[in-house]
Amino acid sequence: MGKLVLRGFAQRKVRVALTGIAIALGVALMAGTYILTDTINNAFAEVFGNAYENKAVVVTQKETLGRGTASEVSPLNEATLARVRRVPGVAAASGGVSSNASLLTTSGKRLTTGQAPGLVNAEQPPRFEAFTAAEGHLPSANDQVAIDQATAKRDHLKLGQRIVIAGKAPARTYTLVGIDKFAGSESFGGASVALLVPGEAQYVAGEPGEYDSIYVAANPGVSPQQLASSVRAALPSTLTVRTGAQEAANQTSELEEKLGFLRTFLLVFAYVALFVGAFIIFNTFSITVAQRTREFGLLRTLGCSRGQIMRSVVEEGLLLGTGGAVAGLFAGIGLAPALDGLFKVLGADLPDNGTVLETRTVVVSLAAGILVTVLAGFFPALRATRVPPVAAMREGVAIPPPPLPTRRTLIVRFVLGLVVILALGRIVGQGVGAVLVVLWVARAIRLGVRLRREGERPPRHYRVIPALGRTIGLMVSWRGVTGRLARENSVRQPGRTLVTALALTVGLGLVAFISVLAAGTKATIDQAVSRSFAGSLIIDNTQSNGEGGIPAALAPAVRRVPGVGAVTAVAFTQGRVRDLAKPGAPVIDEKSRVTALEPKSLVKMYKVEWERGSRATLESLGPEGTVISKKFASAHHVEVGQRLSVLTPSSHQVTLRVVGIVKEEVLGLMSNVTILRSLARAAFGQRQDGVDFVTYAPGANTAEARRGIDALLRRDFPQAHSQTAAEYTKEQSGKVNTLLVLVYVLLALSVIVSLFGIVNTLVLSIYERTHELGMMRAIGASRRQIRQMIRYESLITGLIGGVLGLVIGVLGAVLVTTLLLAGSGYVLSIPVGTLILLLIAAAVVGLLAAQLPARRAAKLDVLGALASE
Amino acid sequence: MVGRAADVCSGLSSGRVHWPGVTGAGEENGPPAAERGPSTDALGAAAPGAATAAEGSDQPIVSARDLRRRFGEGEAAVDALAGVTVAFPQGRFAAIMGPSGSGKSTLMHLLAGLDRPTSGTVTLAGQELTKLDDRALTQLRRDRVGFIFQTFNLLPVLNAEENILLPLSIAGRDVDRAWFEQLVDTVGIRDRLSHRPAELSGGQQQRVAVARALISRPAVVFADEPSGNLDSKSSDDVLLLLRHAVDDFSQTVVMVTHDAHAASFADRLLLLADGRIVHDGEGPRNAEQALDLMKAIG
Repeated sequence: MGKLVLRGFAQRKVRVALTGIAIALGVALMAGTYILTDTINNAFAEVFGNAYENKAVVVTQKETLGRGTASEVSPLNEATLARVRRVPGVAAASGGVSSNASLLTTSGKRLTTGQAPGLVNAEQPPRFEAFTAAEGHLPSANDQVAIDQATAKRDHLKLGQRIVIAGKAPARTYTLVGIDKFAGSESFGGASVALLVPGEAQYVAGEPGEYDSIYVAANPGVSPQQLASSVRAALPSTLTVRTGAQEAANQTSELEEKLGFLRTFLLVFAYVALFVGAFIIFNTFSITVAQRTREFGLLRTLGCSRGQIMRSVVEEGLLLGTGGAVAGLFAGIGLAPALDGLFKVLGADLPDNGTVLETRTVVVSLAAGILVTVLAGFFPALRATRVPPVAAMREGVAIPPPPLPTRRTLIVRFVLGLVVILALGRIVGQGVGAVLVVLWVARAIRLGVRLRREGERPPRHYRVIPALGRTIGLMVSWRGVTGRLARENSVRQPGRTLVTALALTVGLGLVAFISVLAAGTKATIDQAVSRSFAGSLIIDNTQSNGEGGIPAALAPAVRRVPGVGAVTAVAFTQGRVRDLAKPGAPVIDEKSRVTALEPKSLVKMYKVEWERGSRATLESLGPEGTVISKKFASAHHVEVGQRLSVLTPSSHQVTLRVVGIVKEEVLGLMSNVTILRSLARAAFGQRQDGVDFVTYAPGANTAEARRGIDALLRRDFPQAHSQTAAEYTKEQSGKVNTLLVLVYVLLALSVIVSLFGIVNTLVLSIYERTHELGMMRAIGASRRQIRQMIRYESLITGLIGGVLGLVIGVLGAVLVTTLLLAGSGYVLSIPVGTLILLLIAAAVVGLLAAQLPARRAAKLDVLGALASE
Repeated sequence: MVGRAADVCSGLSSGRVHWPGVTGAGEENGPPAAERGPSTDALGAAAPGAATAAEGSDQPIVSARDLRRRFGEGEAAVDALAGVTVAFPQGRFAAIMGPSGSGKSTLMHLLAGLDRPTSGTVTLAGQELTKLDDRALTQLRRDRVGFIFQTFNLLPVLNAEENILLPLSIAGRDVDRAWFEQLVDTVGIRDRLSHRPAELSGGQQQRVAVARALISRPAVVFADEPSGNLDSKSSDDVLLLLRHAVDDFSQTVVMVTHDAHAASFADRLLLLADGRIVHDGEGPRNAEQALDLMKAIG
């Protein structure tokens, strides 16, 4: 039997190759994702390992609320440093500063790209310093800076050049005196790092006299562990003491957590591609099983058991899956840098040194590819076992349908389905669950009625497909007989056309779904900004994703610009919220976003919609008061007047009384918990602002005022920019679009997979119709006409997939937004232009898929085709 | 519409003119077509408006000269046709018979422009096929040749009417409605026009195929075992139709068959063996005569 499988492969090279590709692409994305993220992880692990190699012990502030929640005000200072130095066993200690900052050229161009952060580090004494000068020297004076080699190369920096650094204080300009390497490598894991003398680093970080970490070296004979415990004993418990190795591991795992999101994001697209591949394998196997009915009949006549037939088809799937998966794995190794490149193009520079291929990557990718292929081929294999031996003797013996399901199996199936739906409903949302239950019950009733009426399994009529195909076919039927034939041929085997088109539907449906959601998001932002924002300008960081906020000094500076009426600053922080009204004061939100604002000036520029309370509520908000969101209030049953306790990032405990509840706001300005900005600065260690709103003074020359503001920003705060509401909305749309492009590119892979599916189905159906094509050629159809017919046929199949995808995608998006985002102020918007483009894309996929099959069909030798049986 | 086969045959036999046997390989070419007798005199008059009238009756519609066709190379080479010279005048019904492997199908394929000879020439409706490229050959088949196949070869996705009109659709030519109506009545499938092939019996399908072959008023209709897949009743119906097309529309028909009964409908019988013409004479009066002839050549 094994030999038969191999022989069969040799005879059907094109089909095997096409089907293999369908699986290989999904596996490639999967393997590529693992390789890329492993490579990045590895690069960072190396970077961190090197960074802490010469530091026996590292003291940092305790992250009370969990990872990544450090207070912006560090509790480490000169006194802490002095105390560490007095601990027995300490040979030396030094304070380190590391802060996000924007590095720019004097013309205002950023040295960082996209998501990779810009950092400022304080120069360390030689025994702790991980940077070494590759050119020039490390900074020795206040106005000097050294920059990593990767950044210097990318931006062609020259020694002596002036570099602007803007952190949490007004920007300063430094002279580039050195280009450095970090622990021997060109960059600090992709980030751009400016090395300054400690005092300057503290200035940029906005924390004069404070350190982010204290590095400790041990006396000879003292182990890092011993040193860590003696340092820990000498310091308050609000500080964390780790050995250098522990700190490196900690930072690596923190990064891995963040990258986990990226991995999951990419893997989703790999799964989609594999899913589409499964469709194609199912279809291909179904068609070939039908075409080989006679062969199976013969094998059965010769004494092959059903099990052997089954095994031969499954073996074929196994072989195909293995081949496809191995090819995919190799393609994945090539794809990983391409994915990295994609992120670079979209502005996310991820570090990578060399390619990391872990055993897990190989195992998981191969297993996924093989499993999907074998599973998808299983049902066609089952069908093959039902071929009766008589099929060998007679032409056109149909494979009998599977035996009727008994009433009991039907009931069991119904109940199982219900359980799955209910579980799904709990995860996705009650609304979706309810709809699914209704559909499922309706289907069961319909099936039951039919079973009773006809007493047999309901015939599988794909009534929709012929109707859809014929309607779409109208488009080409004016092209005469080729169009007319294409139209009929495309729906000749509705089941086959459906599965072929569905493969395309999956990809295009997701694109439609996402594009509708994105259009809605843009419309929502648009509407929300125009409804809520009543000020003149919005000031925020030009790279708010990567570097976060703007200096608190910005607001007062703008206030002094002539023509400016009022400025209000909004900051964002976080806290652990406990409900004091409930016994035991349980934690109701582990890490809640907290908005800190200046109510008196804010209410003039920003309209808040109230569930409980009014503008006066906000205006009179005191340091003990808080306004919470409606969603938060209803989720945790919090009422006005109730008291909440909030643990802050700087380990303070504050008690707040709920004074008002605001309606959901799509802009997210008001988070779950909103407090006074002054409280955030005092108790939450909040130093930066997120965004500033500006209004011009009445009667001011607004153009002049704007010029004044922009000049100030250019000089002192080059990381920030001012935008009108319209400009802001446009920028937000731009961000949504960038994400969309990424999603589209990744979904394109699934679409390509389905393209191969169309090619495959066409090749197979042309093979089936050889005789017919021969006759057409004999009675005078030209090669061109044959080509045209196949192309139109494929075009129609593509468009069926496109139309179905569009309908499913749009309906899905509408359903999801109305069910899940009901009452959130989400504005539904249908991107008609994008959807039309999508249909065109479907048509193009169809036409592209037809190229090879059409040429093959046209090249058929007339006599050979006529003689074929 | 048409009488019983025997009546037709006997009625025709009187008007038939015998012509000298056309030579096989190596011999001199046969006499000029004009000498082969004005075979269409009696019938041609009965076919006013026949498409092929322009070609005149003195010129053969299809002729082949020293036709050879070799398959394979070297040791395994087989000469399917070993030098055949033959001419088919207009308005005649010729049957080509021969045992399996005699080359009869190959001859038909070459005459119809479906295959190219190893050497020799084929002239169809005044055009030398060997000089035509694929495009021109396709066009010639489209406009000047009709085909009837053993397996009917209708397109399953088209109904009977669309199948009949297919050659015109492919050519993008207008339909001569009157001719279509006449054909539909002649083949007797008026009530089945909107049915698809799957809904038609074998005989009905082949009658549709006959109408399809005639719709473009081709210079010649090639029929490849037209009755091979039919029961005897349907078989007679289809053969009578071909007979009728020759008699009433002055259609030229060349039929390949190994069914002696089918051959008895023809005016002329060519016997092939081993790639050569071994007999060329009047159509057999009946199946027995045809069988005797077959036996005679071994």
